[in-house]
Amino acid sequence: MKHLLFLAAALVFVSGFAGCAKKSDQLTTGVDGDYVVGTPLSERRDGSAFFSDKVIKGKFEPVYFGYDSFEVSDQQLVNVGQVADALRGMKNDIIIAGFTDDRGTEEYNRVLGEKRALAVRQALIGLGVNAGRIQTVSFGMEMPADPGSGDAAWAKNRRAEFGIIK
Amino acid sequence: MNVTRWLCLFLLVFIGVPARAIELPTITVKKAEGVNLAFAGVGGSDGPAVSKVLANDLSLAGWFTIVPAAQAAYTASGTASGGSLQGKVVDHAGTTLLSKTYTGNPRTVAHLFNDDIVATLTGYDGIASSKIAFVSSHTGHKEIYTADYDGFNIQQLTRDKTISVAPTLSPDGTKLAYTSYLTGYADIYLIDLTSGARLPIVKFPGTNSGASFSPDGNRLACTLSKDGNPEVYVLNASGGGPKRLTNSRGVEASPTWGPGGREIIYVSDQKGGPQLYRMLSSGGGSKQLPTGYGYTTEPNWSPDGRRVACSVRTGGGFAVATVDVVSGSTRIVSPPGNAEDPVWGSDSRHILYSTGSSLILLDVPSGKTTTVIGNLGKVSEPTWSR
Repeated sequence: MKHLLFLAAALVFVSGFAGCAKKSDQLTTGVDGDYVVGTPLSERRDGSAFFSDKVIKGKFEPVYFGYDSFEVSDQQLVNVGQVADALRGMKNDIIIAGFTDDRGTEEYNRVLGEKRALAVRQALIGLGVNAGRIQTVSFGMEMPADPGSGDAAWAKNRRAEFGIIK
Repeated sequence: MNVTRWLCLFLLVFIGVPARAIELPTITVKKAEGVNLAFAGVGGSDGPAVSKVLANDLSLAGWFTIVPAAQAAYTASGTASGGSLQGKVVDHAGTTLLSKTYTGNPRTVAHLFNDDIVATLTGYDGIASSKIAFVSSHTGHKEIYTADYDGFNIQQLTRDKTISVAPTLSPDGTKLAYTSYLTGYADIYLIDLTSGARLPIVKFPGTNSGASFSPDGNRLACTLSKDGNPEVYVLNASGGGPKRLTNSRGVEASPTWGPGGREIIYVSDQKGGPQLYRMLSSGGGSKQLPTGYGYTTEPNWSPDGRRVACSVRTGGGFAVATVDVVSGSTRIVSPPGNAEDPVWGSDSRHILYSTGSSLILLDVPSGKTTTVIGNLGKVSEPTWSR
């Protein structure tokens, strides 16, 4: 029975992954054709403030984004896949925090950061992770990973970070 | 002429005269022209203090060219003492057009008198009694501050010691809604500015931000991501009864209300870069409002409904532009240098915007700019009562 379950899970995983790879071939800009309606967020967990010590940060590489884009590229999906794998082995909920570089205006960047977090969440859902396990938050252009200017710094700031809720 | 033509002429003369003419002079002031006004000063023991503020208000108002009495169409004067100002406006013939008593401290009474002078002589709202609020990171955290429109009476409103941003004043200036990360998430809070009481009012899962009061103050538009995508919603002013207005694959943000609360303009990137869209506040009818720029954000609709101010990306930085909602004609109104986050004053003539290190009051028709906040470090996201 256990083997069947494993096989089923593997099939779901593979098909989900293959599905994602196929979809992303069609993506060219930040405006995607995949998801017309997002998956609603579930109630927030207590003790899930991203920058509190109740959330373990830095365990996974952030997902990085192109300028003014929320597309999760093929390359970044590999990273997301590793996160999905790890989540299968733990019961914790997670929170994804979206950020932008500091070009652009404040409120739009707050919302773009949220969209990035939601895009990564959707990719995890596509890989079989339960939607109810994933919270999102956006900090817009606050708290850059690299406070400098220029393409290299900006690229490090356009990100979604993973936090594991203790 | 025959009887019909006389009748038409008769009707034209009497129907063509605005009803307001009974109270106000029937002058038509084009926004680019000045009304020749003399300011004869304010006497009395509080005179100097009131005079100074009033002279500044009259200068900032934009409507007036201050001239000596001999050249003036109108003269304003007053007497102030013991917390009371008697203000008067007479025309060239000496007829009194305005005579009123105001009570309060010198700044308050000067501002009130200025606004009545503007209303009497132009028919438009004065902006001198209005309040502004904005974000400053002066303390090391982003907090919300309030001030008078001219930058005086700066008060720190929040002490959240987190990230407190996106303030919006209700049109009557009695309430302020803003976004704060007190819970670790972006939630919208409402402050009653009279009592100081604060309530979290919009705290759905995900991000809640970009609150904007309807013109009557009874509704809030904002961006919520609770359904899995950031979209524009309308709620009642206590944060309940959310109704989703948009539904796209992209980012929707920054709703701003049109006159009467009938329509909303917001930002969407459904076609690539962020652009402005216009729709009914009851839902539906969404249509792009093109600006000619590849990145247009932070819209703010003028109270008279004619133009939208916005931030446009140009030449590596941002400028403030106005878009005529009827013709679509877009022009940059800020001087060279970074300019973002515009908000209109109640006269639909002035715009307040941020350079990053200062807040600038811009008189759009003349292009004249005045720094109203300049010493509070990084300042941003101004909002303005009506």
